[in-house]
Amino acid sequence: MRHVRFRVFAVAAVLVTVAATALPTWSQTKVTPKGKLTLAWHAGFASRWLDPQEHDGTATPDNFFTAIHDGLIKNQGTTLYDHPALAEKFAVAPDAKSATFTLRRGTTFHNGDPVTVQDVKFSYENYRGAKADVFKNRTERIELVDDRTVRFVFKEPFLDFAILFGTANVTAPGWVVPEKYYKQVGPDAFKQKPVGAGPYKLVRQEPGVKIELEAFDGYYRPVHTKHLVMVAVPEAATRVAMLERGEADIVYNIPGPLIPKVSKMPGVTLAPVLSGSFFLEFPGFQDPKNPFHDKRVREAVSLAIDRRAMNEAETAGMGKVTGNWINDDVQYAIDWPEFPRNVEKAKQLLREAGYPNGFEFSWITPLPTFYSRGERIIAQLREVGIRGRLQTMERGIFFQKLRGGMKEFPGIQMILHGVRIAGSWSFWYEAYFKCGGANSRDRVCVKDLDAKFDRYEKSINAAERKKLAEEIQRGILENHYLVPVFRHAFVNAIGPRVTAQKWQDIFPTITTGYAYPWEDIKVKE
Amino acid sequence: MSTIATRPVVAPRTASGRLARFVKAAREAPLVAIVLLGGLVFMAIFAELIAPYDPTVPVPGATMFDPPFWMEGGRTTMILGSDFQGRDVLSRLIYGARVSLIVGLMGTLVAGGIGTALGILAGYVGGWVDQIIMRITDAWLALPAIVFAIFLAAMIGPSMWNIIIILGAVYWTRYARVIRGEVLSLRERDFVKLAEIAGASRFRVIKRHILPNVMNTATVLASLTVGVVIIAEASLSFLGVGVPPPQPAWGLMLAEARPTLMAGQWWLTVFPGVCILLIVLATQLFGDWLRVRLDPQQRNL
Amino acid sequence: MTQFIVRRILYSIVTLFILSGTIFLVVRMTGDPVLLLAEAGASTEDLDRVRQQWGLDRSWPVQYLAFMENAVRGELGKSFNYRMPVSELYFERLPNSLILGLAATAISLLVGVPAGIVSAVKVNSWWDNAAKGIGLLGLSIPGFWLGLVLILVFSVWLRWLPTSGAGDWRHVVMPAVALGWYFAASMLRLTRSSMLEVLGSEYIKLAKLKGLPEVVVIGMHAFKNALIPVLTLAGVNMVVMINAAVIVEVIFAWPGIGRLLYEGIFQRDFPLVQGVVIMAGFMIVGINLVVDVVYALIDPRIRLTR
Repeated sequence: MRHVRFRVFAVAAVLVTVAATALPTWSQTKVTPKGKLTLAWHAGFASRWLDPQEHDGTATPDNFFTAIHDGLIKNQGTTLYDHPALAEKFAVAPDAKSATFTLRRGTTFHNGDPVTVQDVKFSYENYRGAKADVFKNRTERIELVDDRTVRFVFKEPFLDFAILFGTANVTAPGWVVPEKYYKQVGPDAFKQKPVGAGPYKLVRQEPGVKIELEAFDGYYRPVHTKHLVMVAVPEAATRVAMLERGEADIVYNIPGPLIPKVSKMPGVTLAPVLSGSFFLEFPGFQDPKNPFHDKRVREAVSLAIDRRAMNEAETAGMGKVTGNWINDDVQYAIDWPEFPRNVEKAKQLLREAGYPNGFEFSWITPLPTFYSRGERIIAQLREVGIRGRLQTMERGIFFQKLRGGMKEFPGIQMILHGVRIAGSWSFWYEAYFKCGGANSRDRVCVKDLDAKFDRYEKSINAAERKKLAEEIQRGILENHYLVPVFRHAFVNAIGPRVTAQKWQDIFPTITTGYAYPWEDIKVKE
Repeated sequence: MSTIATRPVVAPRTASGRLARFVKAAREAPLVAIVLLGGLVFMAIFAELIAPYDPTVPVPGATMFDPPFWMEGGRTTMILGSDFQGRDVLSRLIYGARVSLIVGLMGTLVAGGIGTALGILAGYVGGWVDQIIMRITDAWLALPAIVFAIFLAAMIGPSMWNIIIILGAVYWTRYARVIRGEVLSLRERDFVKLAEIAGASRFRVIKRHILPNVMNTATVLASLTVGVVIIAEASLSFLGVGVPPPQPAWGLMLAEARPTLMAGQWWLTVFPGVCILLIVLATQLFGDWLRVRLDPQQRNL
Repeated sequence: MTQFIVRRILYSIVTLFILSGTIFLVVRMTGDPVLLLAEAGASTEDLDRVRQQWGLDRSWPVQYLAFMENAVRGELGKSFNYRMPVSELYFERLPNSLILGLAATAISLLVGVPAGIVSAVKVNSWWDNAAKGIGLLGLSIPGFWLGLVLILVFSVWLRWLPTSGAGDWRHVVMPAVALGWYFAASMLRLTRSSMLEVLGSEYIKLAKLKGLPEVVVIGMHAFKNALIPVLTLAGVNMVVMINAAVIVEVIFAWPGIGRLLYEGIFQRDFPLVQGVVIMAGFMIVGINLVVDVVYALIDPRIRLTR
């Protein structure tokens, strides 16, 4: 089990304008790429994922554009956002009102064109994916200082700039596309035949089905495997059969019941990457008539949940029982001890709250398609007398209802969320807690915490921000406004042809569920 | 494709005739089908009394994937083993009979109801009504059932009743075509013409003369549809839009447990699979028997 | 005859019109695609931008008119997910679906028709019961379960066939069997009842009376006449297999149209779903048209009654 503790000290460090400058020494040694690696992907492919300019903000496209494209800085290994890539160094001004990047020498796109500061400027200005408006509204101008140096100047201090800019599964204005080619073919054709500066160039694409890539010999780091093929295989059992037969070398997303079987396959290594956090929400608990209005009832729910059993059954124990509902791999996330299970105490709290025989709630709605997790919670809550039923929703409908707010969840309800947002704790708060947040809408709304969050947003003082962030998170957890359940493991498997001592060799990047950096993966002949 | 000219329109209604028919029917009755269907219906109705455990929650003390009792690690308290949630497979199968029978029978009823009504309307009223109905029937074949499933789930929330409506909405077209064809020829028959000349209203003609004569066909079609509907329920569950869990529908059990097929927990798919096989077998045998009785021509339906 | 054909073509157009309207409405009522395409933390501005980009901010009648206007010109719109014209995507997948559909149809005919003939000729014999057994298995085994069992046996245990994807003939075998299996059962049923009907008819009895050998009677006369409805059904089934073999294509990761549709629906890729459904409608309407015309040529009475 990987257990990485990394505290986020980043902003302080960035403010004093530090950046990695040393090029890894092994990049000088020439490596001839060889062999073929086949990756079985767990859904269909969307061509739009091959264009960072339209990043949808989900933790999905980074699997693809980390192969084809490259950013100025990025998350890689245990680095959260500031791993130098196309930029060999960068610095954020002490007043956080500008950021300056120096391009690496001699990098080119797959078509041979050099990566220039003009391409950087174009990519930033033309970016229209997730959080594009945040960058647009805060940027005053882009200065091309010289042919290797570019400076982004902001209207006011932009403390989250680097963390947003460098996290591939949040936004991608810092991922450089070739201006000339992009304009020449247009955004749609670019998605069919993307050209980037990443370690792999596109050979062929069957939209939705298969992506064939080949090592790019102009990449500034050694690329070890010649051919990288990604195939979309929606059915999990089929993916496991492919692994068993040697048709695939890396297989994503193995469901719980198949984990024991895969772990016994000869030469196969399981890669349980820690992923989204599952937590309970009580829509409309602010209404005094709602039983969850009483803090003791919410605490009773928390005490009734058997988190370890959940982790054991759903992810063969490979997930993690954590205390915070916000993943610890984001900025300012706080550590929180694991919540205990205590059925007796839960019953007592219910008695004190006036529910000696428990009570009934209408529905618990889990994130599709993790229905069995909802079923387990129902069974566990039953032991303390809280009885309710499972409501299943198709994925699209679920998100539609979330955005609909309170009116879509009338009566006494629970929602079991499963969320992964990279970058900063504040993105979690904004989306799932704040009043009017994109997913929380009007269902949660805790005024004093929202007020603190406003102060956090306005503050340009890093120490104060950190303090507020921690206070807010404590406030949520102490009051059981949300009840954390466990952290899901996105369980992948590595076949015998891949060279790896341990799974972390293939999945070293802690902020993603995917196997990048791709260029480091080696296959046996 | 077929002619109906020689069919007896209404059977003789004498007491002795009825008795003779009953005896004959009893002798030819498909015993296997009746026993199977009877058993399943019994299970469905008395599930609470027969099933050892609650089908929707884990059995206390059970772990997940306990094998059937005759295998190593199995226990006699859960003779068919437990599933991914630690629930009793046998209890789920017993309760599943209820869900699957309701879905199969009601789905068929909805399909048959819509199809027969539209078929009669098209065939008897004719003209542009007929045209519109038949064009819709043609168009329907191209509409995928999953789109409907998500559409209904979005409109009224997922439920077993949605699945019934969806399956009804998918399978009505066959009834409409066949019944319409039959009504077209019935309309030309003397007894219908006479009733019309005698001044009977359209509704009355349909009720008294048309409907009784197409019921046999509809019944035979229905016996063939039940199995198809139950399989379709399984397919919808596979696509993630079937009967919502934790209800124990056989199709859902089969779909949910499909990864375990690869992992060696065969009992989780084989038992519901056998149940589906049995119910399809029973309805087919029953259908064949009905067909001999109600549709001597054995037409291509 | 010309008048008949013209009328049938007009009907077909009406059918397609009804189909386009229905799918347009139904798919739009399944929810907002923008929510599925945006990230967990998207702001309202993000969502509006995406909506505008795809013209989803326009009213439904306006969107429908635009859709129909394009459809008439042979364009089915641009897929949200793939950013390609839907027709291009469709035709890229079509060859794969044709291969699968043809192979599955061949299997369903090769299994269903001989078994159906044998069981009709030897009614209630051991053969008949065996055939009924096959038919029963075909009807009662869900395709996804059969597909996984095939993968388990032939790919994982025996290692004879590749698990999934498209490539050479070995990739086609299992999906075609899994798909054709179900339809073989209906072929069998239809062949059997069709043969029984023909065998019971006056002219076959006459032929037998004339002393023609049974093989000739069955082979030449009965089979030929019984074949028409069987081939008709096979044609319609094939269109369904080509356009909507969703389950088999998902299990075997077969790059066909069924999977395109499946992913389109769950992603709320409206233009894609509309396009695939319309194309399927075209094919169904087309094959119905051919069947009607051929029937009318064979039997002139049909022209008058329908």
